[in-house]
Amino acid sequence: MSHNETNGEDIRFNREEEDDDEGDGRGLDAWERVYADERSWESLQEDESGLLRPVDNKTLLHAQYRRRLRTATSIRIQKGLIRYLYIVLDLSRAASEMDYKPSRMIVVARQVEAFIREFFDQNPLSQLGLVTLKDGVAHSLTDLGGSPESHIKVLMGKLECSGDASLQNGLDLVHSLLNQIPSYGHREVLILYSALSTCDPGDVTEAIQKCKSSKIRCSVIGLAAELYVCKCLCQETGGSYNVALDEPHLKELILEHAPPPPAIAEFATPNLIKMGFPQRAAEGVISICSCHKEAKSGGGYICPRCRARICELPSECQICGLILVSSPHLARSYHHLFPITPFDDVSPLVSNDPRKLLKNCFGCQQSLLNPGNYSYHLLATSILFHI
Amino acid sequence: MKFQIEDVTVYFPYDNIYPEQYEYMIELKRVLDAKGHCVLEMPTGTGKTIALLSLITSYSLSKPSSPLKLIYCTRTVHEMEKTLAELKFLYKYQVQMLGPSAGILALGLSSRKNLCVNPNVVSAENRDSVDAACRKLTASWVRSMAIENRNVPTCEFYENYEKVASNVVLPPGVYTLQDLRVFGKEKGWCPYFLARYMVRSANVVVYSYQYLLDPKVAGIISKEMQRESVVVFDEAHNIDNVCIEALSVSVRRQTLEGATRNISRMSQEIERLKATDAGRLRAEYNRLVEGLAQRGNLPIADTWFANPTLPEDILKEAVPGNIRRAEHFLSVLRRLVQYFKGRLLAENVEKEGPVTFVASINTQVGIDQKMLRFCYDRLHSLLLTLEITDTDEFLHIQSICDLATLVGTYTRGFSIIIEPFDERMPHIPDPVLQLCCHDASLAIKPVFERFQSVVITSGTLSPIDLYPRLLNFDPKVSRSFTMSLTRDCICPMVLTRGSDQLPVSTKYDLRSDPGVEKNYGKLLLEMVSVVPDGVVCFFVSYSYMDGIVNSWHESGILKEIMQHKLVFIETQDVVETTLALDNYRRACDCGRGAVFFSVARGKVAEGIDFDRHYGRLVIMFGVPFQYTLSRVLLARLEYLRETFQIKEGDFLTFDALRQAAQCVGRVIRSKADYGMMIFADKRYSRHDKRSKLPGWILSHLRDAHLNLSTDMAVHIAREFLKRMAQPYDKTGAIGRKTLMSQEDLKKMHSNGGGMFS
Ligand code: SF4
Ligand SMILES: [Zn+2]
Ligand SMILES: [Zn+2]
Ligand SMILES: [Zn+2]
Repeated sequence: MSHNETNGEDIRFNREEEDDDEGDGRGLDAWERVYADERSWESLQEDESGLLRPVDNKTLLHAQYRRRLRTATSIRIQKGLIRYLYIVLDLSRAASEMDYKPSRMIVVARQVEAFIREFFDQNPLSQLGLVTLKDGVAHSLTDLGGSPESHIKVLMGKLECSGDASLQNGLDLVHSLLNQIPSYGHREVLILYSALSTCDPGDVTEAIQKCKSSKIRCSVIGLAAELYVCKCLCQETGGSYNVALDEPHLKELILEHAPPPPAIAEFATPNLIKMGFPQRAAEGVISICSCHKEAKSGGGYICPRCRARICELPSECQICGLILVSSPHLARSYHHLFPITPFDDVSPLVSNDPRKLLKNCFGCQQSLLNPGNYSYHLLATSILFHI
Repeated sequence: MKFQIEDVTVYFPYDNIYPEQYEYMIELKRVLDAKGHCVLEMPTGTGKTIALLSLITSYSLSKPSSPLKLIYCTRTVHEMEKTLAELKFLYKYQVQMLGPSAGILALGLSSRKNLCVNPNVVSAENRDSVDAACRKLTASWVRSMAIENRNVPTCEFYENYEKVASNVVLPPGVYTLQDLRVFGKEKGWCPYFLARYMVRSANVVVYSYQYLLDPKVAGIISKEMQRESVVVFDEAHNIDNVCIEALSVSVRRQTLEGATRNISRMSQEIERLKATDAGRLRAEYNRLVEGLAQRGNLPIADTWFANPTLPEDILKEAVPGNIRRAEHFLSVLRRLVQYFKGRLLAENVEKEGPVTFVASINTQVGIDQKMLRFCYDRLHSLLLTLEITDTDEFLHIQSICDLATLVGTYTRGFSIIIEPFDERMPHIPDPVLQLCCHDASLAIKPVFERFQSVVITSGTLSPIDLYPRLLNFDPKVSRSFTMSLTRDCICPMVLTRGSDQLPVSTKYDLRSDPGVEKNYGKLLLEMVSVVPDGVVCFFVSYSYMDGIVNSWHESGILKEIMQHKLVFIETQDVVETTLALDNYRRACDCGRGAVFFSVARGKVAEGIDFDRHYGRLVIMFGVPFQYTLSRVLLARLEYLRETFQIKEGDFLTFDALRQAAQCVGRVIRSKADYGMMIFADKRYSRHDKRSKLPGWILSHLRDAHLNLSTDMAVHIAREFLKRMAQPYDKTGAIGRKTLMSQEDLKKMHSNGGGMFS
């Protein structure tokens, strides 16, 4: 299900390091903001940046996030719409550190929860699974699936940390899991790494090469500092590597992974995929569902090819393997391919010239003259257009 | 890019130039114009080498009528190769821009060990044995013997080279040692002798310090270099020590035993020769009567070492009569060795000046100053007459004659120090007689006098006014450059207190305080848990390192450290250390993380880079003062005070701080890199100490980082590492401009016209 367009991404591994410019303009204000803040404990220190942290962080970040979404989608590059993503959570000893309040682990869990919801919101055709790293081993917490709630429930039940993290074990596990998925799916791993080292039984570079040859895109978000292996991993597999400064920044970084990434070049041959649009089963009918293997009444869907019953969409038919979706799912996925034309933020307060003031929303043509309406419409346009 | 500095068009092989590189070139140009010498400090990672090379070659190209020769001295073969690689790149660009008229000949020169291509010879274990093995095949008498007897082995590469001899030409280009070997193999010519021959006419020569500073080597290799040369000493922060070592000799028991063996071997040879070919001995005698210590112009393969004293001090006189006869000379040597043996029996430390020493030799064994002076040349002549090729066996007697000649020549700037044992290990008798040179200016003086311009440059030359005093010259320019950075990628800190707020120091009174050791341990432990990949620690000495590591081991801190990172230790054994370094790098590569324990002034502190992830943090535990009770050091301090009015304290602090700066400077080797430096000793917070650090470190040392405790340092480290992990704009478009293009330079010229002209 790849839409073939110009593919401008040429991901190359540069041994000299420090060469991976993530060409966006963010970051600077973010870190300087924190920097200014952190200097406060040394009262005598003159501040070089002179920047104050904006009072309302959330709106700022949200605006930044939307802006990035826009720039990311305005260039027409090929995107993988059917994503199979594993989130690897580092629950080693390092996750218990309290530089993030109350602890790295809690903060990560909180952000992952938000991310899972956002992910399915933006990628209804995709699936996600959770893996944890602790005590030197990797453990599969949830299998790939399309239900945000079930992932979140399992995750929140398993929050404790101990031992060392092993990147190699994590990659090996994820590799074996993702290797089974069909070739049209885009294989991705997002690693949230607290530790500053990896204690591996063998050679981690082999695991990295394995992921590379299996076209698994690995991205890492570090919580403390830049780690050389992680950098290698991301460069080799075409993922992104970032280190969070604080919780809002972490959130921003995680959410960056919600929109689909550009497809890996060699992998991007256009593919036709068969999909079924199942009908909703009649209310009150009791049947054995193919996903839970138990009798359920009403509310399910019927596979149009083999007539098996399944409980949730989107999913894959357990009997015949057909991908089952509903049309809104497809539509929502499509918006990544046909982004809205970039628009300028116009604040009614800034522009005093009535002629310059936009009167109507260019999306829905409603009046913008009522200031109370304004922000709603700006937001609404982007969302409406996206669907 | 191509730009103009006054009348010189500079060809620079990159599209952009750092502002400090540009300024560096301007200063350099000024020095070349003035035909003077200079001291320039510029941090590593700013492209100092390429700036130097491109200015000097461009300068030379712009004056085709009187081309300047560039003699570039490096400390190690590795640095030599790096320099040649940059030169190659530059050369390609210049030829591309200017066509074949830009053709120059540039080559590296090293010992036979690195250049020989004869597989039977290079396999020998060390430098001296390769030299000797080569001599066995190439000495003139061996070769003439081979003409009569086909079974006598020779080196075909040398034979082929000899056949073409003075007609050989190396096509223009830049030749690394590897290139020379390849070229030699291809043509069947010996690359070593080829290179030695070609250095005379080459435009650029890259070789080691010794080839200019050690009179024994310089006399052979660098004798015929033209005056119109620029000599560059790169990484020259220890140049005074190199100068001193070139003129110092130590004699131990083993030396004397070896010398005794050498003497008896020589006397056997003499006996043998008397029986078989007495004419040869007579011929030598006659030559000596005529006043030729050496046989005129020796064939290139027979030259061994030249006289250890400086060129202008070599006597142009006949060898004294009483050592002309081989047997007489041997008996002089025997008596000399006997005398040294007696001196080594001393129970207390003895120190005397050359004059007293010579007088005492004269009264006790009847060898006068003049005889001493000629020892070295006389020995050389004898060895040639006896046709001895296994020269590596004769290093002992050579040291003795070396010492004799030096002591017979110089009356100032030296002392003789006899120590019955090492001060630090008084129970192990290890007597040593040292002839110590105290005056670094002696060895380098001929270089300043002979060559038009001498450039002394390094990343750490602070305080910059001290070097001209130590080396006794008058620089036309002495300047320290700072680094232009797009972000604050170095973070120096001075840590004065441990986690319990008590002061930390390696000062004598606190050195073995368990509290300090514990605080140092805690510091490292905290740091390894927040710093990723590689961490390097430098200690003030091996014994201090052994002690503290032991105490960390006993208190369990070491074990805790190892939970975060693997620990590797530098030892005095080179092979072991190389292995440890190798494993350290591997641990950094694979993400396990590692700590390297090393010693200031050790091999690692001088030559090994810990850039990128191999060193995100370096901790300097203590101030690396020299062992102040060392007699040799005390004697030197005394001399410096009396001769150059340099105060002891000033010199010691300067020396300690340059070592510390060297150690911490290992982590930053390029602008894209980042790293932290912790100076863990309360004494660093004092202005007199701190101010001796190089400017590029000082400019990043904020006032708030001058008096930190462990917890504050940890906090700063965390923040710094997070900040550095953020993507950044390398060209510095936002605010700080750190790269200039050809256009920028042009603009600068037309705007501020007067600024640089
Ligand atoms: S002449 Fe050259 S190639 Fe032959 S042994 Fe000597 S150094 Fe080696
Ligand atoms: Zn079900
Ligand atoms: Zn089906
Ligand atoms: Zn609208």
